[in-house]
Amino acid sequence: MRLLLIEDDREAARFVLKGLRESGHTVEHAADGREGLFRATEGQYDVIITDRMLPHLDGLAIVQLLRQQGRDTPVLVLSALGTVDDRVRGLKAGGDDYLTKPFAFSELLARVEALQRRRSGFQTATTLRVADLELDLLGRRVTRAGRALNITAREFTLLEFLMRRAGQVVTRTMLLEGVWDLQFDPQSNPVEVHISRLRQAIDRDFDKPLLHTVRGAGYVIREEPQ
Amino acid sequence: MQPMENERPLPSSLHTSAFRLALAYCGLFTLGVSALLGAIYLITARALAAQVDNVIMIELEALADEYDREGAPGVAAELTRLQAGWGRAGAAYLLVDRNFIPRAGNLTSWPFKGLPRAQWPEFEIETQRADKPVHHRVRARIFTLTDGYLLVGTDISQRRNFQHSFRLATLWGIGSTALLGGLLGFWLSRRLMLRVRAMSAECELILAGDLSRRLPIAGVHDEFDALALAVNRVLARLDEQTHVLRATFDSTAHDLRGPLSRLRGRLEELLRSAALPEPAGASVERALQDLDRVQRTLTTLLQIAQAESRAPLADSARVNLGALAREIAALYEPAARDQGLRLHCDAADAFLTGSRQLIAQLLSNLIENSLKHGGGEIHIEVHDSGSGARLTVSDRGPGIAPQDRERVLRPFVRLAGGSTAGSGLGLSLVAAIARLHEAQLSLKDNTPGLRVTLRFPLPAG
Repeated sequence: MRLLLIEDDREAARFVLKGLRESGHTVEHAADGREGLFRATEGQYDVIITDRMLPHLDGLAIVQLLRQQGRDTPVLVLSALGTVDDRVRGLKAGGDDYLTKPFAFSELLARVEALQRRRSGFQTATTLRVADLELDLLGRRVTRAGRALNITAREFTLLEFLMRRAGQVVTRTMLLEGVWDLQFDPQSNPVEVHISRLRQAIDRDFDKPLLHTVRGAGYVIREEPQ
Repeated sequence: MQPMENERPLPSSLHTSAFRLALAYCGLFTLGVSALLGAIYLITARALAAQVDNVIMIELEALADEYDREGAPGVAAELTRLQAGWGRAGAAYLLVDRNFIPRAGNLTSWPFKGLPRAQWPEFEIETQRADKPVHHRVRARIFTLTDGYLLVGTDISQRRNFQHSFRLATLWGIGSTALLGGLLGFWLSRRLMLRVRAMSAECELILAGDLSRRLPIAGVHDEFDALALAVNRVLARLDEQTHVLRATFDSTAHDLRGPLSRLRGRLEELLRSAALPEPAGASVERALQDLDRVQRTLTTLLQIAQAESRAPLADSARVNLGALAREIAALYEPAARDQGLRLHCDAADAFLTGSRQLIAQLLSNLIENSLKHGGGEIHIEVHDSGSGARLTVSDRGPGIAPQDRERVLRPFVRLAGGSTAGSGLGLSLVAAIARLHEAQLSLKDNTPGLRVTLRFPLPAG
């Protein structure tokens, strides 16, 4: 993926650049808002990551200017403003996603990849498939190896969210936002129990597990290579 | 917000201290006016009487001199002369012999039985005016002559009339003073009461958290204005300090994010780099977990500060509290079951105006609090009370002692014997979000357990 990072904090930028490059992405860096806007308009990027508070030009202003120019490159806004209200405001301003500093790098990576995937479009099929697991969106049925699985409506939504991002790490905050529409991180981890229930439903009676926990990052649904 | 228990309605105009004071002043003033008028009356009456007596004495002495010079016929002639001429008004004269047979004067007969004992005897005479008998009171002095008696008197019924008029005037004066005083007192107390009422209404709003409000100044430079000005100065100082405190806190919290960000970056870099020898790897992971906790606390503190600052909400909308409660309950239900607890949700549709996200956070904090401390069953109830949405979260845990219920809403208060897990901020955030939504929060005994109730106002519009 070709990415642009607009971040004025050199040290913070260094970690992010290093991490993204190690994950196999091409990243360019702009150290202030003006340079950021220039590069964003001139270059072609899959995803733009911008800090919210920048010298010369605010991150949210960059998003608005880009949108006015008709550019729909997905933008992830990074911010030190971390309350629920700040998030809502940031998303309203046109950012595609909003991440509060300090963040875990795995969270950033998962969100950047999700944004890129979102741009390339969801499968329009009415059936989602991962290995022998099938989710029928119209009939709202789940089968594995032809056997119907008994899952609740909430588990169905959760599974759909994961299967639409098959092979891609989904963090628990992404799940809270996407499945429960919650913009905050609870003290305890209520999502984990839902995942383990879903895992019971789809993996218990089968040899090959499909729903995996990625330590320190989140969850992923995929067929593990043998 | 805790419901205020000592709240009393403001008194009616008749029960204000201003009215009582006005009444007391009115009474005192009336008393003073009565005393003054009484004194004036007494002094005037005495002066008038003295004047009458004086005139009588002068005439009597002049007539006595006449008697000494000319004898009884001389006095009789003088009396006839006095009557014929312009004598003084209301004068009565009578010269009698030893047997009280009249010899001269304007009285037809001796008005007494023999010689009266009193130095200044008084008697009644009757005159005809417009064919009607009119009675006059006469005050007299009698002089004993060698062959009779001489009486000189004055009609004092005029003085009586004066007394009567004066008494009437006094009564009217006192009555109107009392009435005017009472009315003035009522008006004054009413005016003061309205001002006090305006001030206390403003105080309620300030107490509800709007420190930018000020007490009204009437601009009449009275003691109420002085009081309001003093209170406003206190408020301004409080407001300023709150602002400084908030700004300090906000900038500290934001400044901490930079180093925390870099700390996290370095730790993650370390973890990603070539395999760490095992104790080191575990330590780095634990350090990251601690960092998570620090970050979470900071975010919650910022969230509380933002809610307390009452800045307008970004996502204010009509929220179905019942539907939201059902969703959050469903989110926590499996976790509760894993802990061996039962989570019941009995939520009917009920609406409020506010931030869906903040209300969700409030619900989540209350449920997590019950999961942490409560045992057995947790009940979530939502209904529309007609005057706004009502939320109740109750558990069967140890509950909170009555004396701790207000304290526990403050940040970083952990109760003795309680679990040390958690930031000690959960209920503070609940209280802050409740205040932001103008909801009344109350913690009660669920016999046993804790019962948290939130009363939201009716949705806007």
